[in-house]
Amino acid sequence: MSHLVSEIRRAPARIIVSVFALALAIGAIGVFAIPTVASSSLRDTAESDNLADVVIGTNDTGELNVDALLDSIDNVQAVDTQIETDVALIAEAPDGPLLKLIGFEVETQQIDLVHAESGRLPDGWGEVLVSDGVAAIGTTLPVIGHGGDPVDLTVVGIGGTSYWSGTSVAFTSQATARDLAGLEGVNRIVISTDEVGSDELTATAGSARESLARQDIAVTVLPVTIADDEHPIEPDIEQVSSLIGMLGVVAGVVALVLLGSTTNTLVTERTREVAVMRALGARPRSLRRRLRRLAVGIAIAALVIGVPLGVLVSNVIARMVLQEFVGITPGFAVSMPVIAGSVLFALLGARLVAARAARRVTKIPLATALRDRDGSPFGRRFTERLAARMRLGCLLDRAALRNGAHRRSRSIAIVAQFTAAVAALLIIASLATTINDFNAATLEPFNWVSKTTVAGPGLDIDADIADGDPRSEVSIEAIGELAGWEVGIRGVEVDTVMIDRGLDQGYWFDRSDEVVVSTGFAERVGIDVGDDIEVLLASGPASYRVAGLHPHRDRSVFVGVAALAADLGSPGMANVVYSLDRQPAVDVTGLTETTFLDSASEDESARQAILLIFGAIGLVVVSVAGLAVASSLAVNVYERRHEFAALQAIGGRNRHVFRMVSAELIPLALLGIGMGLVAAYVGGMAIMESFEAADAVEIGYTFATGAIPAAALVVIVGSLLLGWLMVRRVTRSPAAVTLRSAA
Amino acid sequence: MGITPPLIHRITPSSSEADAAQHRRMEFTAPNLPFDAHTHHPGGLTRPLISAIDLTRRWGKGSSAQLGIDGVDLTIGHGELVAIVGPSGSGKSTLGAIVAGIDRPTSGSLVIDGMRLDRLSNDRLARWRGGSVGIVFQNFHLLPTLNAAENVDLALKLADKSVGRRERRFRSREALASVGLDDKMTRLPSQLSGGEQQRVAIARAVVARPRLVVADEPTGSLDQESGHAVFDLLAGLVGAGTTVLLITHDERLAGRADRVIAMLDGRVGVAKTVMSEPPDFPRSAGVFAEAGSL
Repeated sequence: MSHLVSEIRRAPARIIVSVFALALAIGAIGVFAIPTVASSSLRDTAESDNLADVVIGTNDTGELNVDALLDSIDNVQAVDTQIETDVALIAEAPDGPLLKLIGFEVETQQIDLVHAESGRLPDGWGEVLVSDGVAAIGTTLPVIGHGGDPVDLTVVGIGGTSYWSGTSVAFTSQATARDLAGLEGVNRIVISTDEVGSDELTATAGSARESLARQDIAVTVLPVTIADDEHPIEPDIEQVSSLIGMLGVVAGVVALVLLGSTTNTLVTERTREVAVMRALGARPRSLRRRLRRLAVGIAIAALVIGVPLGVLVSNVIARMVLQEFVGITPGFAVSMPVIAGSVLFALLGARLVAARAARRVTKIPLATALRDRDGSPFGRRFTERLAARMRLGCLLDRAALRNGAHRRSRSIAIVAQFTAAVAALLIIASLATTINDFNAATLEPFNWVSKTTVAGPGLDIDADIADGDPRSEVSIEAIGELAGWEVGIRGVEVDTVMIDRGLDQGYWFDRSDEVVVSTGFAERVGIDVGDDIEVLLASGPASYRVAGLHPHRDRSVFVGVAALAADLGSPGMANVVYSLDRQPAVDVTGLTETTFLDSASEDESARQAILLIFGAIGLVVVSVAGLAVASSLAVNVYERRHEFAALQAIGGRNRHVFRMVSAELIPLALLGIGMGLVAAYVGGMAIMESFEAADAVEIGYTFATGAIPAAALVVIVGSLLLGWLMVRRVTRSPAAVTLRSAA
Repeated sequence: MGITPPLIHRITPSSSEADAAQHRRMEFTAPNLPFDAHTHHPGGLTRPLISAIDLTRRWGKGSSAQLGIDGVDLTIGHGELVAIVGPSGSGKSTLGAIVAGIDRPTSGSLVIDGMRLDRLSNDRLARWRGGSVGIVFQNFHLLPTLNAAENVDLALKLADKSVGRRERRFRSREALASVGLDDKMTRLPSQLSGGEQQRVAIARAVVARPRLVVADEPTGSLDQESGHAVFDLLAGLVGAGTTVLLITHDERLAGRADRVIAMLDGRVGVAKTVMSEPPDFPRSAGVFAEAGSL
């Protein structure tokens, strides 16, 4: 400890900078903890809300006692019934935006517990508790529900339940919801179970469906099973978190390089001191132990700062993710594996690098080590002699380039740091561009300008309603399951104009048992044209033959609307009317309208959130890389101060010294930029490939070529600025003073 | 230099301008001088090359301040070989550094070849150094990644941008040949012995044909034979009209100079003329009482 303290006293600024740089690098590794922190917070929330294990949407259950019917099913622990509907807010316009309305058993709720964070739960007719951001307590919300009559809802509380996190929802009594939805019974059932494994829940959902079917109650949407107590949005958050975690790989690389270069420098700058001690009789083994302890001491100091910093970084970013995407403000969470990994990385890494450097330093012949103040003189190695024969550029350029060859491990470290910084910048820019393009691409095949739906999950639109309007079509939007994946089932007219029917393979379906599947998804799950497939619908499995593959980027199955309605148990019905006009000519009671632009803008806020989060991580990674470059450059310039003073002594000015520094740095920066571009392209592709595999969608990869000039400019200008600052610092002393210290 | 016996002058530390002027007169009018230092220049110039008045160099402030040189007056003519001698810490290297323009005095004035150095900006001072003074260091301080020819070439390039590449190369080779290294032009400093590196440093110092060469302990890192060879090279420059300021603790080498200036504790010693004896260095402050003694 006293030895460490004396070392710090010797060169406090450099030691402290090394500690902080290393601490920042260790902190950046905390990015790896984000998925764990996010999941941990979500699961805590799920537990406190007693989240449902199975959720089933039905048509109107009428007077059926659903609780009693389903309580007797194996594995069912508790059953709650709810009403789910959508109402149109008419505050701004008669056909205003949709607001989801959930009617729940206020007094006896057991599952998906609704909490009031401020105000109170609703108990009278027309009272609502809304999610944060919908309206203030005391506000009156005029809405239109089933039947088309306006109704005033009064906001009495703000809160919700985690199942609906991230959605604008109003919770009310079942009586209020029933009236607004035009139902006699309920249309949503939530079940908690004893066993929460995936197979058990699927079996429970199947049993529930059968029980309901026996009572002529149809399941209108694919039952949702939430296995292993995870939060329903957890898989989505996991994607984003995992993506963010992958950026931690970049942070890890930078941290590794920084650890290596800092530790290596720490040891090798003591070469002469070690040689003096060897000359005085100290044993090499004890000297190596001393050097290792110094490096480990620095690493421990860095950990003291870096680990809390990493915990803070992971929690701050996880909080950003959860607040933006889910509307949850998570509690504080810690990932012990990541902390343990950071500690191991720092201590083991420092010890290993220091051991290697110490062995090298104690093996230098004593006479050489004592004589050579700046380490091994230039010209000892073959590569250096080769570099000395090259006559590139002016004399100062040659001196600079040859110095780069001489200090090759430092040059490699600087290139690695530039590579990491450029790769991080471009990966983030490319991911943002890719997400942007993907979101736009998923809407691209659609030609409709507006779509109209009715409140509630059922098929409540008569398919004939659009017969008189050539610019409108009825359709069905449903959720199904194919090859183990959740897919969007779109029932459309055979000759629909609402979707671009251009295909990658095959032909557009023309029979009731034919479907078209999105190409990317089909390729991922191994579906070809001509294959027979089984799609699990809300009503049960349905068999089709694949007629063609469509370029739509999402997981989609296109099928005839009439066939789908029949397969869903509601022949001649639909749930969507598409129109090529902003105002469709069809007249549907309780209609709610969404324009194409509304759909596009829904993604905008998510994109902004992603950009914000990526930007924050990018800033951390680039800062660490920048600090690493600055640290290496400072050491490089400091070690060459005698050389610079000699140059000044023979008439060199500051700009000549700067020329030497920049002539060495710029080629390294250019190399780093080049390698960073390659790493960004390959790395970004790999990240997107993993997402495509995880999601079974065709995301594609848009390399942000537009960001290349900006990244290159940042690196080059930043390097030159750093170089100039270092030169000014090192040439502040008169040349004589610097040269005297070399004597 | 080979004709007359060596001459040693020490200048009395003066507390007033009048005293200083008188002692300078004493220096240049002392008997048995074969020549007047003012006029000993092929060009017959009467103005001294170097004129320093009350030069002081101090580091730090207050009670912890360190004194390098203190109130030094100095005059050196054209074409002289002047040795500055003194024990370690006497301030001779500091004086040499200030005269060479690689350090600045805290106070006082320094005029070299009509240029007031203490008033130049860093940039102009660097430009002046490149063209007007050559410096030879004890530790050579060659750029380690440039070979011998390139080290010399660089000095010439910094001194005079107008010299073309071909001429620079020719003059570099000429300079290296003059120090006997024409067969080692492509060697890196690490591939040369100490004596050879010092000769490269001398070639570097003279390639731009400066009026002044400051050599700070040029033989300090060399063996005796190499040291004498280096000294002969420096002495040879004087014959070509260059003024050489040699900083050394080697009494034998100092004895071969035209003039010796002794320093102690940052101050110069008493003027004294010695006909044929080796120089007598003051070992205590008592030497300052020997003003004018022969």
